[in-house]
Amino acid sequence: MNVFFREFKAYRKSTLIWILSLCTLVVVFLLMYPAFTKDVDVTRELMAGLPLAVRSALDISLQNFFTIYGFFAYLFTFISLAGAVQAMNLGVGIVSKEDSGKTVDFLLTKPISRANVITGKLLAAVSLLLITNLFFGLASFITARLMSAANFDSRLFLLIIVVLFLIQMLFLALGLLMSVIIHKIKLPIVVSLPTVFSFFIVGMLGAIIGNDNVKYICPFKFYDFNYIINHGYYDAKFLIIEAIFVLLSIIFSYVLYIKKDIRAVS
Amino acid sequence: MNIIETKKLTKYYGKSLGIIDVDLSIKEGEIFGFIGPNGAGKSTTIRTLLGLIHPSSGSATIFGKDITKFGPEIKEDIGYLPSEVFYYDDMKVIDLLKYSGSFYKKDQSAILKKIKELAEYLNLDLKKKIDDLSYGNKKKVGIIQGLLHEPKLIILDEPTGGLDPLMQQRFFDLLREENKKGATILFSSHILIEVQKLCDRVAIIKDGAIIKIEDIKNLTKDTHKKFKIEFLNRVDYQQFTDLKGVSGLISDGNNVSFLYKGNINEVIKMISGFSIVNLLVEEPDLEEVFMHYYQTDKK
Repeated sequence: MNVFFREFKAYRKSTLIWILSLCTLVVVFLLMYPAFTKDVDVTRELMAGLPLAVRSALDISLQNFFTIYGFFAYLFTFISLAGAVQAMNLGVGIVSKEDSGKTVDFLLTKPISRANVITGKLLAAVSLLLITNLFFGLASFITARLMSAANFDSRLFLLIIVVLFLIQMLFLALGLLMSVIIHKIKLPIVVSLPTVFSFFIVGMLGAIIGNDNVKYICPFKFYDFNYIINHGYYDAKFLIIEAIFVLLSIIFSYVLYIKKDIRAVS
Repeated sequence: MNIIETKKLTKYYGKSLGIIDVDLSIKEGEIFGFIGPNGAGKSTTIRTLLGLIHPSSGSATIFGKDITKFGPEIKEDIGYLPSEVFYYDDMKVIDLLKYSGSFYKKDQSAILKKIKELAEYLNLDLKKKIDDLSYGNKKKVGIIQGLLHEPKLIILDEPTGGLDPLMQQRFFDLLREENKKGATILFSSHILIEVQKLCDRVAIIKDGAIIKIEDIKNLTKDTHKKFKIEFLNRVDYQQFTDLKGVSGLISDGNNVSFLYKGNINEVIKMISGFSIVNLLVEEPDLEEVFMHYYQTDKK
């Protein structure tokens, strides 16, 4: 438990900044919804004027765009990108921060198993992400509710909000795995930014060229909002893919970290 | 009971050798020195004992328990201080030490009391941030986190770097005190005077292998004498080099010094024919004995 609390405390400030940024972004954006939908026809025309490639890249569906969900989905493209970076930073930091700070000797010569070190840190990271999502979810939900009182489907909106957490779990697990495999990561952001953006760009390109298979390798496309809005639930096969990926990454990370030699600082 | 026992402990890093067939048995209550130059395998041995690296073959027990199976349990009673200390820069000293203490099952208030005692003794400000400490002060934090749970086994890997002579003295006094209370100490160093001051027995390691384990007394006493002679006139040094048992001869004008192993009367007889201004016969310090081991090996 002490590792959990130490980790939790160490990330207090940065998590607070993430929460404030995400909430500000979503509130300001959602406040524009009424203005945006006041003159639906003009906006629709404007949107239709955009090339299809741009629209698919930005995940704009003409059919749903003017619902609060569709509008939210547009912003969510960027929110999920930021959220993925936050989660992956946490994941990469689990192992690499002790390495780069050279504090790993201190930690691992205490009476605690390596598995318990990872568990404490992983749980702290998940808790921090849960808290982020709680605030983000509340801010989104309340603002969306106020902006679109009529026809507001709470269940559907909740489903949409939770997608952020699902994407974050994936990147958290991926980050942990990478930090165990790659030696000497000076700063988590050096690994997480390129990785997250690569996935994001792959997803975007896939949408532009209309290749449906890209969905399977790009976490940002796992939980398609149009699918959720039309079916009222997530596409189950992606939930399964995510569960398997997260589980395998975490198991591999434990095994590799327990077997790893902690070399002397040089 | 042997506190530490290793059997043919071997570690390869990929293909390059770390240590090979290291056999050590360190008894309860002993202060055991571990000497050798940098890169000889001291740290590799210690890091293997602490479970930081995994042995390639061989085995080791601490407190009679296998190090690979009972790692966390064993560490409950080990205090470790490495040569270079790194702690969380964003923490205050007291928070770091409390965090360190929180890993142990011991009563936390007893640990806190010990932290305060040690901090006072070593003259360390507990309210400062780790980031603001000088290297020597960080080292003090290291000493305290290694001793705050009153460990039964203290493992020190070249621990004195960065400590000024006064602090070094206090640190050694602390170690002797812990030893009196029953703690066993494994002290690794390449500075031999330190080992000589503190240790009962010593293992010499070279190129990953233990080349000698010896009582400090035997190592310095029975083996060699160090002669320093100042003659009135220039003499022919050849006859000294011819004498059996002489090594490391250095001559400078009327002065001559060498290590001698054998019957002292032989030397006395030889120099009795000369006019001597000054004569010094000393125990060689460990460094000279140690160099001797290394040199004979080279030949």
